[in-house]
Amino acid sequence: MSMYKLNKFKRALGAAARRALCVAAGLLAVGAPAALAQKLLVPMDDAQQNHLKAYGLTYNAIKAGASAEWLLNYRGGSFLLSDTPDLRRQAALAGITVEPIDNAKVADIRTEIAANNMEAVPLEKAPKIAVYTPPDALPWDDAVTLALKYAGIEYTPIYDDEVERGDLSKYDWLHLHHEDFTGQLNKFYLTYRDVPWFIDLLQKNTATAKRLGFANIPALKKDVAEKIREFVERGGFLFAMCGATETLELAIAARNVDIAQSFIDGTPMDPDADKKLDWSRTLAFRDAHLEQSPFVNSMSDIDGHQVNAAGRQQPLGTFTLFNFSAKFDPVASMLVQDHRAVINDFYGVTTSFNKAVLKPADIVLASEEGAPWVKYIHGDYGKGTWTYYGGHDPEDPRHQIGNPPTDLSLFKNSPGYRLILNNVLFPAAKKKPLKT
Amino acid sequence: MNRGSWTAALLLAVAFHVPRATLHAQAQAQAAAQAPAAPDTMAFYKALDLEASGKYRDAAPLFRSALHTTAAVNALLGLERVYAELGWSDSLLKPLDTLIAAAPREETYRTVQLRTLQSLGRDADLRAAFERWAHDQPTSSAPYREYARLLMQRNQITAADSVLARAKQSLGTTKDLQLEVAQARAAQGEWVESANAWREALRSADYLEQAAAYALAPTPSATRQQVRDVFLAPPIEVPARRALSDLETSWGSAADGWTALKDLPPDSISAEAWSEFAKRAEADERWTLARDALESALKWKRTPALALRAATAALNVGDAAAAMRLAPMADAHGDSTLAAREYLPVQARALAALGRPADAERLVAAYDRFLAPGARASLTRTIAWGWVRTGDMAHARAALAENGVEGDSSDAAGWLALYDGNLKTARTLLRGGTESSPELALALGLIARLKVDSSAAIGQAFLALARGDSAGAAAQLVQAADRTPGGRSLLLATAAQIQLARKNDVEATALWKRIIASDPDTPEAPEAELEWARSLHRAGDTAGATTHLEHLILTYPQSALVPQARRELDALKAATPSV
Repeated sequence: MSMYKLNKFKRALGAAARRALCVAAGLLAVGAPAALAQKLLVPMDDAQQNHLKAYGLTYNAIKAGASAEWLLNYRGGSFLLSDTPDLRRQAALAGITVEPIDNAKVADIRTEIAANNMEAVPLEKAPKIAVYTPPDALPWDDAVTLALKYAGIEYTPIYDDEVERGDLSKYDWLHLHHEDFTGQLNKFYLTYRDVPWFIDLLQKNTATAKRLGFANIPALKKDVAEKIREFVERGGFLFAMCGATETLELAIAARNVDIAQSFIDGTPMDPDADKKLDWSRTLAFRDAHLEQSPFVNSMSDIDGHQVNAAGRQQPLGTFTLFNFSAKFDPVASMLVQDHRAVINDFYGVTTSFNKAVLKPADIVLASEEGAPWVKYIHGDYGKGTWTYYGGHDPEDPRHQIGNPPTDLSLFKNSPGYRLILNNVLFPAAKKKPLKT
Repeated sequence: MNRGSWTAALLLAVAFHVPRATLHAQAQAQAAAQAPAAPDTMAFYKALDLEASGKYRDAAPLFRSALHTTAAVNALLGLERVYAELGWSDSLLKPLDTLIAAAPREETYRTVQLRTLQSLGRDADLRAAFERWAHDQPTSSAPYREYARLLMQRNQITAADSVLARAKQSLGTTKDLQLEVAQARAAQGEWVESANAWREALRSADYLEQAAAYALAPTPSATRQQVRDVFLAPPIEVPARRALSDLETSWGSAADGWTALKDLPPDSISAEAWSEFAKRAEADERWTLARDALESALKWKRTPALALRAATAALNVGDAAAAMRLAPMADAHGDSTLAAREYLPVQARALAALGRPADAERLVAAYDRFLAPGARASLTRTIAWGWVRTGDMAHARAALAENGVEGDSSDAAGWLALYDGNLKTARTLLRGGTESSPELALALGLIARLKVDSSAAIGQAFLALARGDSAGAAAQLVQAADRTPGGRSLLLATAAQIQLARKNDVEATALWKRIIASDPDTPEAPEAELEWARSLHRAGDTAGATTHLEHLILTYPQSALVPQARRELDALKAATPSV
């Protein structure tokens, strides 16, 4: 598994040494022989006709063994790929803008990168991707699987059976979306208890729990959450959206506490559950408070927008991506590469994360100006990393149950979806040795 | 459903959101306006005048003073309006408390209170006001209805649903809240449950049928059959079937819309539904459906107007014999002017279509003195068409000649020129014509792009098409292709288009292959490749379709069809969701 720790490495270097390195790299590039192969520049600024498929082109190029670099902050976070007939063909078929460039131009770009807040990050190995998703289609879409399918990036769907039998170790990157790891099925019981799809969901999850030796769904989901925590601790990359962010944390914190309401496990929530939560084990949040009422469609005060809680819902605004130092913080920089800095917000079961519950080490990648919440966060945990992106579907701000899935061919330049795909590619970044 | 109907549905939905109590109060106001004003209501009427002239500041104190009169309910609604204009809605709360204390069962006061608190964003107070209302009137559905509606307006569907669930618990039934239940279920994607609630609501409020269709229109394809089953379930109820018919039309199948209506029991309400359906079908030029619906309506009650509409629809689907039967000249009951104006055009057209132009000519001659000049020219063209259909071009020309200059410059003259192979004249006359039809689009699309001015083979091809011989037309175009410099690919593509319309994919594919092989640099080459790919996909050959779409994109990168090809390629690879 490749891991990018260049930020730590770079921080250890002195400024002067860094400047010398950059200039040297530039001179080397300028002096390189003209016989070297040409490159394909995949611009990611407004010149790009299909930003989303550009990620698929790059991912599949790496997977096929071609050399690739991610030019952070250069023209919207462009990619530099080997120029091969097959890549040109793939780009033409998908309508991806590519610019064949010669070595002189490559040298110019490297010089520009060296002199500015930019960085060229080699992309080494395409991560093996798993998406935690139930085998049966549910009446809502999943932004990540939509993005992966549209971009042409291969992934493996896994669910409770696979996690419980230890399959997570086979993958580098795990995505979670709408799952409720507290095992309360997103409290949809309140509204959908008589609806066929909910009845089916409840029956299947209960059957899985019994089959795998758990007393009920909350017990099963807590164990799955624990295995996901261990996956990250061992070095995995976790990306979660929507309700999975909040409920994963709650499930981990509530390892030994009953936080599920009686409608799902037959017993009420432990009245002291709030006090008994163990936040030392969680990835991103601390000191959050559980929603005690079984009749309020909210899990806790982690979410700032509370879209389904009557009287608490907050309006949508816009969120702004932070601008990191590409040379000092390449990981954070990779995660925010985009051709737009300000993006329209969108609701999800969990839309945002209240600042008050963030752990001090969390890196905020995007937030709404003046709001008490943030949108997009990242951090290290054990040997791995996690990234949480609030909301359900970046191009459907109020995705309702039963709505048709978003057709990304109509949103091929979506800045919100780009953030998802940044997460898919960043584990491919080459690990650089720590200079200690 | 046409645009007008949708607009009506929207307006209806909006209109229904006006609380019933408010409508009641407005009716009271109208009744009061017609009666002599009592002295204590003078302030109210003065306030209405001031409000109408935009003097909200002056109207407000008068409405306020009228709160203590018999016009209190209407005065409150007036005060609500002017305070909203002035941005003083919070000032309404205190008078409301007083009014509610004095008349706790008056629904309008409670409704206005909820509305005001919602507009002020005071959610906790809103909830508390609802709770008080529900407590004070434990058997009334009004508190639940109004609160649920307000929540739904704010897209707080889950919360609204909780309110409705509580209503069921408290009242023992949601019979009076079926509209709200239906809307909440639809907003939550519970389409079948919503359909059930709509059906229930339609029993007592049949005017909601378009609102039902509008609310259920987003039902996903996979669930539509279950929704259909709800509306089709016995017993047959006309409002439910009309709602389903509208719904099917909004889902893109007017034919299924007719299926929903065709087995209604024959009575006046059904006949009205059939006639209205036919009206929409006529507007959309879905003539088969229009004819079926009109014939059903005629079975209940035959009126000359319906019969004429049915005959026209029958003519437009090519059933000339039915047209003659449906609107005979005898229906004019001896009124020659009426016969000439309404029945003669139908009969003449039917006779021409049946290959009896001589009979048509005789009939027109018999009514000649009752015809306006414009109508006569039109009938002459109809007769000329009849001669064309029989292949007697000399008679056709002679018929047109009777119209003099007008006949020579008509659409029909353009068609005759085309059949003669005189493309230059046909180009001029057809381009400037008033007719619009798929045949004209095909003809103009072809001859406008050809550089040659005459071609007997092309003329023969269109003549064959006019006579209903599409296979012959395609063969003639293929023959013309080899003899028409610079127009080969276009003629072959047109021939392929005709073969495709005949559902003869084998012949069409042979033509597409020929275009790609022999004229790869023409605009028809990518078009042929796209159609070929679609044909392969229809036949289940996804790999073959993929190959052709990729070939199109890579070979013709400048073609305007490339974005469409990419979209279809994505769909083949399941990169985009199928809807």
